[in-house]
Amino acid sequence: MLLTNCRTDPLGISNFKWRMAEHQIDDPKIAFAYLRPSCVLLTKEPTCTNVEALSGHLCSVSDGALQQLQDYILFPLRFVLKTPGPKREGLIQAVMEAMTYVLENTCVQRWESLRDLFSELCLCLCSPQDPGKPATASEELKISVLGCLDTLLHSAYGDIVFKLYEPSMLPGLGAAVSLLLALAEQEKARSVQTASLKCLLSLFLQCDCKKEHIEPRQHERYLLGSALATFLPGISRALSLVVSGDVRQGHAVTVKSMRFWYKTVGLVMADEQLEKTGIDKAAGDLGRVGELIVKRTPSWRKATSQRLAIVLQKIISCTSAHPHWKVRLELVNLSHHLLSQCSQSVVECVGPLLEALVGAINDEEPEVKNKCNTALDDVAQKSQTNGRQDFTDVLSENLHNLASSLPRLMRTSDDQRKLFVLNVFLGYLKILGPKIDVVLTSAVHLERISKALMQVMELDVTDVKIIEEKSLTSSADLTPDVQQIPSQRKYFLYFTDDKIFSALRKICRMLGYYGNLYLLVDRFIELYKESSVYRKQAALVLNEIIVGSAGIGVETDTLSQPKTNEEDLKSSIMSIIEEYISLSNWHLPTVSEALEGNPESTVLSVNNNVELSLQLLPASKPQTLHQLNSNIWQICIQLEGIGGFALALGTDFSLLLMRSLYPVLEKAGDESLLISQVAFNAMCDFCKACEYSSPKELVIKNSDYLLNDVSLNLARPSVHPHAPRVLAVMFTHSDASLLPLVADVVQDVLTALDLSYDQRTPQFCSVLNSLMKALVTWFPNTTGHQKPPTKETQNNTCVSLKQFLLDYKKQKEFAEGIGVEDEDPDDLDIPPPELASDEDTEGPAVKKELPLHIQIAKDVMERCIHLLSDSNLRIRLKVLDILELCVCILREQEDELLPMVHRCWPALLHRLTNDDPLAVPRAFKVLCVLGDSCGDFLRKRVSKEVLPRLTTNLLKQAEISTRSGSVYTHTLAYKLQLAVLQGLGPLCVKLDLMDADLDHVLDACVPYLSCRQPIRLQEACLSVFRSLMDLDSDLCWFILNQLYCPVVYDPPHPLLLPVKLSGVNKPRNQFTDNILKLLQELDGEPENGEPENQTQTLHMTDNRPSYSTSRC
Amino acid sequence: MMARPPPDPLYILRGSGASVNALHFCCGGDGPPLLYSGSGTGAVHVWNLSTRRAERVLESHAGNSVIWLHTLNNSRSSLISQGRDMRVCVWDLSEGRNAVTDSLHTGSVGFCQCSLLESQPGSTLLAHPTQHMEEVSVVEMSSWTQVCSLKLDSNLGMLMCMKMWQADSGPVLCAGYEDGSVVLWDVSHRRPFSRLKVHPEPVMSLDVDVYRQKGISGSSEKILQSWMLDNKKSLQMHDSVQMTNPGVSQLQIRADGKILASAGWDNNIRVFGWKKLKPLAVLQHHTDIVNSVAFSDHQDPTQRLLAAGSKDQRISVWSIYSES
Repeated sequence: MLLTNCRTDPLGISNFKWRMAEHQIDDPKIAFAYLRPSCVLLTKEPTCTNVEALSGHLCSVSDGALQQLQDYILFPLRFVLKTPGPKREGLIQAVMEAMTYVLENTCVQRWESLRDLFSELCLCLCSPQDPGKPATASEELKISVLGCLDTLLHSAYGDIVFKLYEPSMLPGLGAAVSLLLALAEQEKARSVQTASLKCLLSLFLQCDCKKEHIEPRQHERYLLGSALATFLPGISRALSLVVSGDVRQGHAVTVKSMRFWYKTVGLVMADEQLEKTGIDKAAGDLGRVGELIVKRTPSWRKATSQRLAIVLQKIISCTSAHPHWKVRLELVNLSHHLLSQCSQSVVECVGPLLEALVGAINDEEPEVKNKCNTALDDVAQKSQTNGRQDFTDVLSENLHNLASSLPRLMRTSDDQRKLFVLNVFLGYLKILGPKIDVVLTSAVHLERISKALMQVMELDVTDVKIIEEKSLTSSADLTPDVQQIPSQRKYFLYFTDDKIFSALRKICRMLGYYGNLYLLVDRFIELYKESSVYRKQAALVLNEIIVGSAGIGVETDTLSQPKTNEEDLKSSIMSIIEEYISLSNWHLPTVSEALEGNPESTVLSVNNNVELSLQLLPASKPQTLHQLNSNIWQICIQLEGIGGFALALGTDFSLLLMRSLYPVLEKAGDESLLISQVAFNAMCDFCKACEYSSPKELVIKNSDYLLNDVSLNLARPSVHPHAPRVLAVMFTHSDASLLPLVADVVQDVLTALDLSYDQRTPQFCSVLNSLMKALVTWFPNTTGHQKPPTKETQNNTCVSLKQFLLDYKKQKEFAEGIGVEDEDPDDLDIPPPELASDEDTEGPAVKKELPLHIQIAKDVMERCIHLLSDSNLRIRLKVLDILELCVCILREQEDELLPMVHRCWPALLHRLTNDDPLAVPRAFKVLCVLGDSCGDFLRKRVSKEVLPRLTTNLLKQAEISTRSGSVYTHTLAYKLQLAVLQGLGPLCVKLDLMDADLDHVLDACVPYLSCRQPIRLQEACLSVFRSLMDLDSDLCWFILNQLYCPVVYDPPHPLLLPVKLSGVNKPRNQFTDNILKLLQELDGEPENGEPENQTQTLHMTDNRPSYSTSRC
Repeated sequence: MMARPPPDPLYILRGSGASVNALHFCCGGDGPPLLYSGSGTGAVHVWNLSTRRAERVLESHAGNSVIWLHTLNNSRSSLISQGRDMRVCVWDLSEGRNAVTDSLHTGSVGFCQCSLLESQPGSTLLAHPTQHMEEVSVVEMSSWTQVCSLKLDSNLGMLMCMKMWQADSGPVLCAGYEDGSVVLWDVSHRRPFSRLKVHPEPVMSLDVDVYRQKGISGSSEKILQSWMLDNKKSLQMHDSVQMTNPGVSQLQIRADGKILASAGWDNNIRVFGWKKLKPLAVLQHHTDIVNSVAFSDHQDPTQRLLAAGSKDQRISVWSIYSES
């Protein structure tokens, strides 16, 4: 009791403490004696100090004593108020506090006291000049007066308080009400507004504070109702103004005014009161007061109800989407209260009230939602027990109206309002529950609802970025991870807030959950087919309907299982998927025709050449861009749908994989980044649904289904151009276990390639490329073809001259011998003798069975031979890549490799010598790999056919590159030089080139030792020398020394001739730095600790000094 | 009106790992429709046609080629297989078992497929080739007791193919021989009804439409020849149809007697109208000889499929002329 008014009464706190500390006076007589002096003093001198003194004394008196002395104590206080003339605010405030204290702890038992106090307090509030208007007093004063008034009303005895509402009191009451309303409406301070609203609630016994309240009986309620009826227009007007006021006024004010309004309406319009209008006649001769009394006749009820509906609409519109949840909660209370108290009297309001209630059913604040649920249950139950069927009718009627106005609302209102409207929609569906089915069977309803959804969910496809974004990582490089890429946000024409989209999705799911699945799917498939305008939205809706019908993401009160049975769901999903992936809906153009038409530029766009594709896009056709954009979204939505269907069906989706995995994989390889991402997400959904750990496992485990489609579609490249793409994706995701199945399809690929040579070659090339890449990773080459370098001459730390000569001679003969045997090209078509002997043992017709991957590599290489001469540069480049991979695979079976190399040599040679500067370095790289794999075999060809050209070219370019500036490093010629120099060293080593060839190579490289060359060319050249030093260190030493010789060599014995090197005594030149570097490396190999020159044996052969160095 | 392009296969069954020699559908009973296939390396695959995957693989006939497969009593759990190891095996596949419950040594090294006749319940006759190249032996399955041995005195050459069925008069067997003749045997009386020299080359395959009393045979030539059985059970030449390429591995008339399918050596499956032998379609998919064709016996006519097994290790499944 004590604590309640503490906030407005700081004194109370001190009182409280004081009273806790000391014993209170119980005896009224003693109390009287105790209080009397201060009362007398106050009457004589009405000052603040005296009031406070009295207050101080009051605290020491017990409640019982206080009650007996109530009038006595109140008298001086009221006397202060009644004294004419202006009074200081502080004094009045002190008086208020003292009165509040007394009233709080006592009861008002006499009607006269109540009436007088009431009117005196009201007088304190109004301005002395104009009693109808609030006084211009301070905020604090008003609060304390209002607090006192509130306390007075609380402390009034139940048997006297109802006299307040008797007709004779109406004028006074009216004045008070209008005064309080004026305060609530006009006052700036929130606390005053709240306090006056609280007062109003107390005044009509509707207070909701924690204190004890009088519970009015029926006839008393009737009394209250008729009194309030008089003030209803004023109350409604004022409160609707308050409610619709600035949001900044704070939720408390709004909540309180709403409460006072609906409590008032609830009393005035209560069904139980209006049923028996007869009591009203009791009004006798009241004179003018009689005019104030409202007779609640049926006609009055009707008129009032209509007016109330207008006010209600206003209140709902201001509060339904109010940012503060307590306001929304109060709206629920309002609807609930009015629906349960006076649904029959305010018929016009039932619709809006239901709408408001339903709108809160999906409120984000759980308390509001819960409250709303109980309220709805209560309302629904009441309406059912009342035997009124119209509840469902009202709902379905409301739903219909809402669906009709939905598109307009979505276009015109703000996001907050849209969200509310959609929540209402959803709420209706929720309340209708299983009855949705009945509503939807009405063609009109279905038509309205479906069309509304189509219009509302129209996508905004103007975002050009989507087309431009090409998948930078080709699908083949997707990480084998179940982690989904966050999906791209959809942009809608009529709203931006994501919450709105999510509300729409919930609506669709709810429809799917309760509605007849076949009916819905039929309807939306129909819309899907009807017009391309609806197609995306229809797909969106279908996606959600299916998910909803599986019971996913549907909030229901009951935990019942989804009523849709598995078979229905499956067959619906099947029919939707079939529709989605049908040719005309799946293979929509997503790349501008200008690009698609020209195979060359298609390749470019595959290569992510964004700038180029932008240039080529016709700028004059913005609709086309939108169309493409729309197509991209269309495909994405369908992909999302298929992913969602998988989740809806769970493991049962496994059977549908045979139909849907291929199309999805097809899109996973799409050039559009968005599509490929969404497709990947769909794959992740498949994994989740069918319990695969990763997309990789998904692909491997279902490779049979995929290959089935791939091989069928390979045969029809014009209708299904993407089979190679899918195959490429498969190769990336699978492992060697796939090979037997793949081998089968590879034959199809090759056949298809042979049949459609020109148009589809780029695609097939990328398939073959990914195939060979996969093979290389599946079968890592264990038997590397690296021969240990033959360095017999260098094995001995010190060789005698004679031994050296003998070795040299032997080696030279040996080398020439092998060269002759191996390099006769005519022998190459004859299979090697050991193979022939195999055939003898196994029978004449049986050819030795090759391992599958070797056979495939061979078959592919066969095609490369032809494609190497393709007119399209990009294809030639791709084929060179493939060729390199083929060689890597085939190197483990030299018998197979060499004949193939022989066959493709002419074409490769052409690439090396006569092709585009882009192709030559690539071809040279292949040559290096070939050299690595079959060195000896190529030696003669390289030295005869390739080296001369390369060296000539190098020499020729050397002159240019010495003179060029830094820009030169961006030219193709430079890149070619660099590639050749970088590869030349290892190539020479692998081919084990000798004498004249080495001379050529060294001669061609020497100019690149110049410090005037670009630095990377110098480095590359140094690497050539380093490689050649392994091969023939003497030759290198000699050539270097001829250019620049840092030391003079004195013969160790006078009989030997002095060494004369042309580089001796040459001045420092452009080559000096690099030569010194190389000579240092040549001499100072770290493993051998012996100092150089000491063990050198010098000899002259072929007019050239040969060295046997002390190196290993 | 332009002819429609031939359809694509509905799907391909891969993974038999060897050439496919024999096919047999089984759609009766509970569960998904099945297709049994016998391979060149003795493996019998049981394909689930709902998942399109091999449900199980039976290793049979000691790695020798399986040349004929059939279910017994139209039950999916009991299978009979003939292999080139000169044996006929009976399998119990029920409840996940895969055991050979019975087997018969035929002694035949040839390619001639057996023929099964389930005339009365409990009595099943099996006609099989024997070690004597011209001889047909008919045995009672339950005990393997020989019912009769059919052999002509004149030299017809090796037995190539046969079909046995139940006529009013008793079991009848039609057999094709190496010299190109077709002989109609009265099994009960162990004597030939009639003999007709149909082809100059060996008869590779034949099938008989019992209802229309009409049969068809093919050899290594370009022609398919149909013949009639008149009232006196004598064979008469009836009609013929030319093909582009020579050689037929197998001929099958669909159970409804509407179409005929041929497995060609030219890698193609050909479909003819059975009534007038009108060529209807050439189904191209295989990259090697087609060894076998089979029609499914599904209850629902729209789900009746055609399967073809080829030396290229694939089985192609087609849905053709199944609408009406």
